[in-house]
Amino acid sequence: MLRRVLLVAGREARADRRQADGLVAAITFMAVLVLLLSLVVGPHVARERGVAPALFWVALLFAAVITAQRSFERELADDALDGVLALPGGRDALYAGKLLAIAGSLAAVALIGGLLQLVFLDLDVALPGHLAIAAALGVAALPPIVVLDVVLTLRLRARAALVPILALPVLLPQLVAGTNAVTAAIAGDEPTAVAWSLLILAFGVIYTVLGLTIVPTAIE
Amino acid sequence: MTTTIFPRILTVRIQPALAVASIVGALVATAMALLWAPPDANQGEVQRIMYVHVPSAWLAYLAFVVVFLASVGWLWSRRPVFDAVAVASAEIGVLFTGLALVSGSIWAKPTWGVWWTWEPRLITTAVMFVMYVGYLLLRSLSTDMDRRATRAAVVGIVAVLNVPIVHLSVTWMNALHQLPTVLRAGGAPAIDERMLATLIVGVVAFTLLYAWMLLARVSIERQRQERVMREQA
Repeated sequence: MLRRVLLVAGREARADRRQADGLVAAITFMAVLVLLLSLVVGPHVARERGVAPALFWVALLFAAVITAQRSFERELADDALDGVLALPGGRDALYAGKLLAIAGSLAAVALIGGLLQLVFLDLDVALPGHLAIAAALGVAALPPIVVLDVVLTLRLRARAALVPILALPVLLPQLVAGTNAVTAAIAGDEPTAVAWSLLILAFGVIYTVLGLTIVPTAIE
Repeated sequence: MTTTIFPRILTVRIQPALAVASIVGALVATAMALLWAPPDANQGEVQRIMYVHVPSAWLAYLAFVVVFLASVGWLWSRRPVFDAVAVASAEIGVLFTGLALVSGSIWAKPTWGVWWTWEPRLITTAVMFVMYVGYLLLRSLSTDMDRRATRAAVVGIVAVLNVPIVHLSVTWMNALHQLPTVLRAGGAPAIDERMLATLIVGVVAFTLLYAWMLLARVSIERQRQERVMREQA
C-alpha cells in the first residue's frame, strides 16, 4: 500500500516538474494577496497582531484549492484517473498519494509566501521554530479536506465555486488554530503557540483518518 | 440500486398522529411561554424568545446528527431510504438553524445592543448553516442518484464534526453568549422551574414537529426516487 501511495505522490511530483502551472499559480496567488493586503490596508495595519497570520492561512487555503483542482484536472484531461483507479487499492493510494503530493506543493507555497510576508511587512519572529512547526502542521492539515472536496465535485459543473464553499467552513478550526499559533509564535508566547499547534495536529489527524476511511468509496 | 418501500403505516397512521401531536404541543408550548412562565428577572419579556431559540438550536443539532447517521447508513447499505432521510433531515436542519440565528439576532438587539456580534457561538452556528447549505448545493448539482447520495453522504459525515464545536464553543473560548444553562457540566439546571418546564415542553413540541416534517419529506423523496428509478429502468 505504502509503495502505491509513494508511486502516486512521485508521479504527481514529476507531473508538477514538467507542467508546473498549478504550483506557479498558487505561489503567484499567495504573493499577490500579500502585496495587495499591504497596499489596501497599509503596512501599519498589515503588521498588527493577527492580521498577517490570518491572511497567510486564508491565502494558503485558497492555494491548496488551486493546487488540488489543477492536480485532478490534469488527471481528467489525460484520462489518467481511470488507469489509477483500475489498479488494486488504487482509490486509497490515489487519495493518500494526492495528500502527500499536495502537502509537498503547499510546503513550497507556504515557505515562499511566509518569507514574502516576513520581508515585506518586516515582521520580527520571537519563536521561529514554533512558527515553522505550526506552518508545517497546517500544510499537512489542509489537504485532507481540500482533496476530499475536489474528489466529490470532480465531474460537476460548478466545481470551481463549490470546493471553497464546502472546504472553508469545515477548515475553520484549522484556520483559527493556525492564525493563533503563528500570532503567538511571532509574539513569543510559547504555551499558546504549542496549544494551538496541537489543535491543528488534532484536526489534521481526525480529517486524515476520516478521509482515508470514506473518501475512496466516493471516488468515481 | 436496492429499492426499499417506505412503509405505508408511517404515512397513513403515524404521520397524521405526529401532525396532531406537534400542533397540540406547539399550542401548549406557546401558551406556557407567553402566559405561564415568569419573565426573566434581568432581561424581562424579551427572554421569552428563548422558548423558540433553544428548541430551534436543539433541532438543528438533532437534524444534522440524523444526516450523519443516514449518511453512514447509505455508505454501508446503499439503501435509498437512507439518502431520503439524509436530504430530508438536512433541509429541516438548515431551516431550524436559520430560525435559531434569526431568533438569536432578535433577542440580541435589545439585550446586547446589536443584531450580530463576532463571538464564537454565533460564528460557529453561521458556519454550520453555510456548511449544510453547501451540502444541499452539492446535492442539487448532481444528477445521478447514486453518485449524488454518495457525495452528499461523505459531506454529511464530515460536517457533523461541527455540531460539538458549536455546542462547546461557549466553554472553549471567551464568549458573549451565555454558557449552557440546562445541559451544564457538574450541576443541576440553573433556571427557574417554570421556565425549565416550558423549555422542556417547547423542545418536545419542536421534536414532534421535526419527526412530522421528516416523515412527510422522506415520503416525498421516496416517491421521487421511485419515479426516477422507473424512468431509468
